[in-house]
Amino acid sequence: MINFKQVSCRLGEQQFCYDLQIPLGQVVAIMGASGSGKSTLLNLLAGFIQPQTDAAQILLGDQRVDQLDPAQRPVTSLFQEHNLFAHMSVFNNLALGIRPSLRLTADEIDQVEIALDQVGLKGLGSRLPKQLSGGQRQRVALGRALVRRKPLLLLDEPFSALDPALRQEMAALVKGLSQQHQLTVLLVTHEPKDALELAETVVFIADGRVHWQGPSKDFLQQKDSHIKAYLGQSC
Amino acid sequence: MTKVLSLRRWFWFSSISFCLVLLPLLLAMSAFTSYLGQAQWLAYVTDTYTWRVVWFSWWQACLSTFISLSAAVLVARALARRQSFVGRWLLLRCFSVALVVPSVIAVFGIILLHGKYGYFNQLWLWLGGQPHSYVYGLTGILLAHVFFNLPLATRILLQRLDAINAETWRLSSQLGMTSMDLWRHIEWPHLKGVLPQLAALVFALCFTSFAIVMTLGGGPKATTIEVAIFQAIRFDFDIAKAVYLSLLQIVFCGLILWAGLRLGRPIDIFTSLETSAKNMRPDLKPLLGVVSDALVLLLATLLVLLPLLAVVIAGINTAWADVLLDLRLWNAFSNSLWVALSSALLSLLMASGLLLAQRHWRERYAAAALAVEWMGSVILVVPPLVLATGLFIGLSPHVNVFAINLYIVVLVNALMGLPYMLRVLSVAYLKIGRDYDRLCSSIGVQGWYRLRHVEWPILRKPIGLALALVAAMSAGDLGVVALFGSPDIQTLPLLMYQRLGSYQSDAAGVTALVLLGLCLAIFVILERLLGGSSD
Repeated sequence: MINFKQVSCRLGEQQFCYDLQIPLGQVVAIMGASGSGKSTLLNLLAGFIQPQTDAAQILLGDQRVDQLDPAQRPVTSLFQEHNLFAHMSVFNNLALGIRPSLRLTADEIDQVEIALDQVGLKGLGSRLPKQLSGGQRQRVALGRALVRRKPLLLLDEPFSALDPALRQEMAALVKGLSQQHQLTVLLVTHEPKDALELAETVVFIADGRVHWQGPSKDFLQQKDSHIKAYLGQSC
Repeated sequence: MTKVLSLRRWFWFSSISFCLVLLPLLLAMSAFTSYLGQAQWLAYVTDTYTWRVVWFSWWQACLSTFISLSAAVLVARALARRQSFVGRWLLLRCFSVALVVPSVIAVFGIILLHGKYGYFNQLWLWLGGQPHSYVYGLTGILLAHVFFNLPLATRILLQRLDAINAETWRLSSQLGMTSMDLWRHIEWPHLKGVLPQLAALVFALCFTSFAIVMTLGGGPKATTIEVAIFQAIRFDFDIAKAVYLSLLQIVFCGLILWAGLRLGRPIDIFTSLETSAKNMRPDLKPLLGVVSDALVLLLATLLVLLPLLAVVIAGINTAWADVLLDLRLWNAFSNSLWVALSSALLSLLMASGLLLAQRHWRERYAAAALAVEWMGSVILVVPPLVLATGLFIGLSPHVNVFAINLYIVVLVNALMGLPYMLRVLSVAYLKIGRDYDRLCSSIGVQGWYRLRHVEWPILRKPIGLALALVAAMSAGDLGVVALFGSPDIQTLPLLMYQRLGSYQSDAAGVTALVLLGLCLAIFVILERLLGGSSD
């Protein structure tokens, strides 16, 4: 269970406060209007933002993670873009996930090759990011998430720059990999379709708080005015 | 019909600008060629003194560039890392001021600190050492060049580091990168691209620097080509030698410019430095980094702040009443102010005409538009003293150049400011053409209305900045004024230089303070007044 207890912070004018439990081993879709605080939730979990009250706690199982440095937390983040170092080969971009010094053992080199194979980039290790398509670049970032072997994968609109067909392909890849490696995936998305196809659970955020949480199949049927407004259905 | 009219109008305007830029250059060049027959080439080429001067010009520029750039990398990295550092604002302000401080003032400050009776020697004496003179010669020249170029280079590098996106920093902290990893994987790859062009720029500035070498060097061991040209004209009255040295200088500057252009696009020197969101870096905590950053930032602040402080302190003395009541000072003051404003306006006129032509030609005549861009660079091949020498030689058979010297100073300063003008203005000028030309003609906003409602609101900020820069630089210029200087017509930098040379230290101090005040006031007033409030 991922447990947010009174985790609050302030960014500019806006106040955010999260109280939330998320079961492990699932794909969870985080939805909500722009600026409602979806990414902030992920940033707090990854340690990119610090909660501002002493009462705040973020627990992963029994372990408190809110005091740890980002590098010590059991998470890997994937952003919409800028996930790769442009001057570095695909192989090295993955290798960074194991050791930032890039000095890998033979065993670790094998791990990178296996991860490249799993994300469908076998043989492209020596390419530079600019020689890849947008979808392939996101696959590289996913490959790095695999070699890092962290149980939590945080995806911040990772497909929104991709064409619909690619999007579906990537969604299927994420689903497959998360089942194979027993990952918990938190996916920030704008697309109700992503949520329905990928996620078991939807967390809906409005005004910096968790507004609704439930099985994804129930999400579209909600009568809640915030959700209906977000989905563009008249009340 | 209106279309044709407006076409003609810009065409005439641009033609005048072209003439203003090209005529002085052509005049200088033809003056040089007319002397080619008279030159004793063999004597010049075998002259060991000349070759020593050439060697020194390259050597001091290499050293200055190397020291400025390596220090700038350290300072920029420390500044990028410590975004909440208390002195950051002060340091960046000092760095901005260093861009418009006249070189005579910086030299004065450096002599006050490092001279034989300067603060450092006094401190050394107090500690029991023997005072020794090290400021005249290479050391002093390097100190002054670093004073000017470290801030310039740091600003450009810092801008590069600040442009690294937030995701990259987040990624690096998640991957647990150390300071070394960050440097290797993130910072160095970002800086690498801009370093060659930056080196070419700093090198060119140091290679052609005049006032600094003139005041701190000048002996047979520490003279650059630029100063040698001046000496040939003013001391040896050997015009043919000045022509030979000028041509040599043009060839070398051309080489440097060519190398710079080969290395990539010109860099933006004067963009503002506003850090947006705080970057989160994983290497803020280690004590070693904190201590080394603190040391680097402290040294950088002292390097720029101490000479300026020394100037201010030296300016507050008992001689102020005598100096301020002296009519010569106010005469020089008004001349300097006039030179500054006229140069800046003339430069703006030239730049606007060129950019207007470039805007109109951009679509149909790409080559012509490129030629305009090149004209800005051509100026860089002809350093101020070379151009002034050319005009001096070209005009002296026809007019008394000493009588019209201030006009020549204005012309040369305007031309020297042109590359800066073009650099600051071109982006906004071309953007208006690209974004609004069609919109304006489709809704019929033309002529005066277009100027007032479209061009001015967008251009006032860059125009304010460009005018402020060129005016402040012209007010502090010593080189060209020194060449044409006569006892009757003074400017503040010239007066300052004479007082520095004749050991009137109290009078020099007050004059320096007045000059510094003038340059800073010109800069701040023009930038704020024309540019409007920053929002």
